[in-house]
Amino acid sequence: MMTPPAIVPEALLPLEKFHYTRRITMSFLQPLLSGILTGGVYALAGIGMSLVFGVMNISNFAHGDLMMLGMYLAYFAFTLLHIDPYLSLVLIIPTAFLFGYVLEKLFINRVINHPHQNQILLTIGLGLIMSNTALLAFTSDPKILTTSYSSSAFNLPGGISISVPLLLSFLITCVIIAILYIFLSKTTTGMALRATSQNREAAQLMGINVAKMSAIAFGLGTALAATAGALIAPTYYIHPLAGHSFLLKAFTICVLGGLGSVVGAGVGGIIIGVVEAMSSTYLSSDWKDVVVFVLFLAVLLFRPQGLFGKMGGQS
Amino acid sequence: MKKTFALVVAAALLAFPILAYSAPVKIGFINSITGKEAQIGENLTNGATMAIEDLKAKGIQVELVKEDDGGDPKNALAAYEKLVTRDAVMGVVGPYTSGCANVVASRADQYQVPLLVPAAAKEEITMKGYKNVFRLNAPANVYSKVLMDAVKAYKPKTIAFVYAATDFGVSTVKTAQENALKMGLKEVANEKYQQGQPDYRPSLLKVKALNPDLVFLVSYDADAILLMRQAKEIGLAPKAFLGAGAGYTTAQFAQQTEISNFVVSATQWTDDVNWTGAADFGSRYKTKFGKEPSYHAACAYEAIRIMAESASKSKNPASLRAALKAGSWSGIMGSVKFADYSGFTNQNNHPMLVQQIQNGKYETVYPAPFSKKKLVYPFKR
Repeated sequence: MMTPPAIVPEALLPLEKFHYTRRITMSFLQPLLSGILTGGVYALAGIGMSLVFGVMNISNFAHGDLMMLGMYLAYFAFTLLHIDPYLSLVLIIPTAFLFGYVLEKLFINRVINHPHQNQILLTIGLGLIMSNTALLAFTSDPKILTTSYSSSAFNLPGGISISVPLLLSFLITCVIIAILYIFLSKTTTGMALRATSQNREAAQLMGINVAKMSAIAFGLGTALAATAGALIAPTYYIHPLAGHSFLLKAFTICVLGGLGSVVGAGVGGIIIGVVEAMSSTYLSSDWKDVVVFVLFLAVLLFRPQGLFGKMGGQS
Repeated sequence: MKKTFALVVAAALLAFPILAYSAPVKIGFINSITGKEAQIGENLTNGATMAIEDLKAKGIQVELVKEDDGGDPKNALAAYEKLVTRDAVMGVVGPYTSGCANVVASRADQYQVPLLVPAAAKEEITMKGYKNVFRLNAPANVYSKVLMDAVKAYKPKTIAFVYAATDFGVSTVKTAQENALKMGLKEVANEKYQQGQPDYRPSLLKVKALNPDLVFLVSYDADAILLMRQAKEIGLAPKAFLGAGAGYTTAQFAQQTEISNFVVSATQWTDDVNWTGAADFGSRYKTKFGKEPSYHAACAYEAIRIMAESASKSKNPASLRAALKAGSWSGIMGSVKFADYSGFTNQNNHPMLVQQIQNGKYETVYPAPFSKKKLVYPFKR
């Protein structure tokens, strides 16, 4: 019979303590970082939807499918034109903006003053057409975009690793949000967009072409959705129905941050990303959606207008 | 008079096809053509297409009525009910997923139309004593059993489970836990995940911190690629990755050599196994569809063949059921016989194979009588 040693040697204690604290910081910092990075892409998807809602007062149910189009654009730019998925944004953003602009001119502006259920049906319909066309054209085989850095990571001291593609997409997200912020606050068009968002009728009385603003907002929303899709493509898989899981996420982010608030959507995205990562670490990944939606309900209960939303809003 | 003549001619024309050919056998086929499992569904469709062609060459005309369940059990049930009531089929092959097959199986005895499940693994499907439910593939417990048998000689000590929260995932892991217990393996982590998420890193990091010898994975389709990619990213490297079927057995997964090399998986079929016509089926499939067949394609092929051949000799669903129960076949899935054993009813006691990806190709490594290559253990990057 072996008896366990009665006393742990004194010399070992600091080392064990060190390992213990290291493990604790690692298990906290790692999901925090990976949550923030994933949340950045969620934020981008949420901002696009929030912008459209703010300016046009329309809930865009085709948002997820627009993301899916962005994924395919990135995929084909990579496989056919051999352009890196992150560089291909230079092509994807204007293409998607134009597509959104035309979409608004052809369909969306016809329902702008109609009841919400008509708008919802229209955008759901557009989304279905897009996803099913993609299903016919690209088949249901999920496409995998494998770049040289798809599964590489930076190793930080303390055993923390940061995914290279996630970090890149997070940095690009930050740049895009910064540009969007400058555009909205400094340019005439940006200010006109915000004016339309604050009060459509007053903006019109002040001589702002609100119809044009709507088209620009929808174009921007589409471009942001497609960008989010393209950014997630190298770390996710590309499938005609891939947008659907992000649609619900984008909605949650918008409502959490306050519908129509760009800042709110940005913060909301990061919160959702971190909460997901934390709950998979400390509970189980099976439970993360439960935690996200409990938090979501709690926010709605105490702040019905969302974290950064304004009270009431337009009628 | 003229009118009567015209009617007679019309009637003769209508009757002619029936006189010239024997009436085709009408069979239903429920599959996941759309939805999350659509990629695997396509393999089943291709297998079925090849079966119909081969049957035609043998002089058996088959009218295959295809139904899509989109991976949703209630659609699968509606499809089965439509097939047996409106289309009056002799028998039904499908559905693909465990969730769908389990629900449809529960109604087969009510409609008395035989159901042949080609590739769904949930054990329950053939454990309830349903008279009209037959299964070609091996059930979930065999997946984990054969995988663990393959690595037994290397004496692993600990195991972690990472799996999709689906019927297939949960039932496979449940039996895997029993098998692990018998082998004296210690379970260190149990991570169930929701499909289609972009970030599995937190779960994988938890597993990495516990440093298990074996990581047992159950995933469909693209999730398998995502999980292995993120596993490489965070540096998770156990002695072996054991993938139970589905997503770890597709050609697309094998092509991702950077992440898929040396992953071990259980499969119902490979094209280098020595079963009659398996190699030939593999090469014909590649020429026809331009990609490697997965085991699902072979399962669907053989299920349609068995169903159609038996149906062509039967008058009605009841006699078809008797024919399926009594018959035995030999083909690309080895020898097939629907037997009652250890709690199963009408279950083909199919021997499963263990394969390992070596240089982008699936190589059968276990059991010894069916394999040419040796298992590479421990896993290395």
